[in-house]
Amino acid sequence: MVTVDKLKKAVKGDIEVLTEEQGLSIIRINNKKLLKKLAWQLKGEFDILYSLTVVDYSPSFELNYVFSNYSNADLFIIKVNIDEKDFSVDSLVDIFNSANWEEREAYDLFGIKFNGHPDLRRILLPEDWPGHPLRKDFKVDDEVRNWTGLDLKF
Amino acid sequence: MEESNEFSYPGLYEVVFMKAEKFINTVLNWGRSNSLWPLTFGTSCCAIEMMTFGATKVDADRLGVLFNGDSPRQSDLILVSGTITKKMARRLLNVYEQMPDPKYVIAVGACNVSGGLYHDSYNTIEGIDRIMPVDVFIPGCPPRPEEFLDAVRVLQKLIKENRSKAQKNGNS
Repeated sequence: MVTVDKLKKAVKGDIEVLTEEQGLSIIRINNKKLLKKLAWQLKGEFDILYSLTVVDYSPSFELNYVFSNYSNADLFIIKVNIDEKDFSVDSLVDIFNSANWEEREAYDLFGIKFNGHPDLRRILLPEDWPGHPLRKDFKVDDEVRNWTGLDLKF
Repeated sequence: MEESNEFSYPGLYEVVFMKAEKFINTVLNWGRSNSLWPLTFGTSCCAIEMMTFGATKVDADRLGVLFNGDSPRQSDLILVSGTITKKMARRLLNVYEQMPDPKYVIAVGACNVSGGLYHDSYNTIEGIDRIMPVDVFIPGCPPRPEEFLDAVRVLQKLIKENRSKAQKNGNS
């Protein structure tokens, strides 16, 4: 709760508090450029980026950044909305190291670009895969069904 | 020159050679079928049942299935247990191609028979018989450890009767 007050002061009250209780805080920011600034503020209290999930509310996407720490297992969740005009958001790799693979996974399955990521490649699917399969508009068509990749035929 | 349709009896040496070859094959098949060293290729939940197959209660050692390290170069049998995705298929073949001949394959679980739960998915292959010759299929999701024993007995019978895929393809 101290953290939320501190964040409000840092970004001049431009955040929306959804939940605020002992051990769990959820906030939403509308301007995605604030994300990196907030992450810098969180760095003192929270050790790791616990997970990064993406929800497809077509046409916009919602990113949930879950931060946690080792001492008392508090959770801090930041929700960021990105719209169809620009599928990109700032990378947090230089602040939280665990963001590296989480962001690669989000890029792999949803096609979200992370600006400033050092190594933005696919992590689960093969390199030359067509499309991003967890999006709502992804169709399993014949191109995907017959895709075998590399030199393999089956 | 006319072709003759007359039947000619084999000579003494040919008969001796054929008898000896048959005897040697019988002995070889007996030996191979009773010392199947498996390579465990577990990618998901069927691998849990495969561990039970090697453990005390369902003892695999009494059939000669000895879990002896995990090197493809010393294995006769590969137990493919778990879903094989399209990215994993190339890796599975890399392991399979390192095994010495003759090699036998047991496909464990519904995913390896037909795709199972992930049938018509975007990233799984529907049955590993599309990429490699399979001797015995074990259905079930996942199968019980006793069915592994049954599959090994079936494979031993196939080897003794010269009917496994490796022997049919002339790789024995």
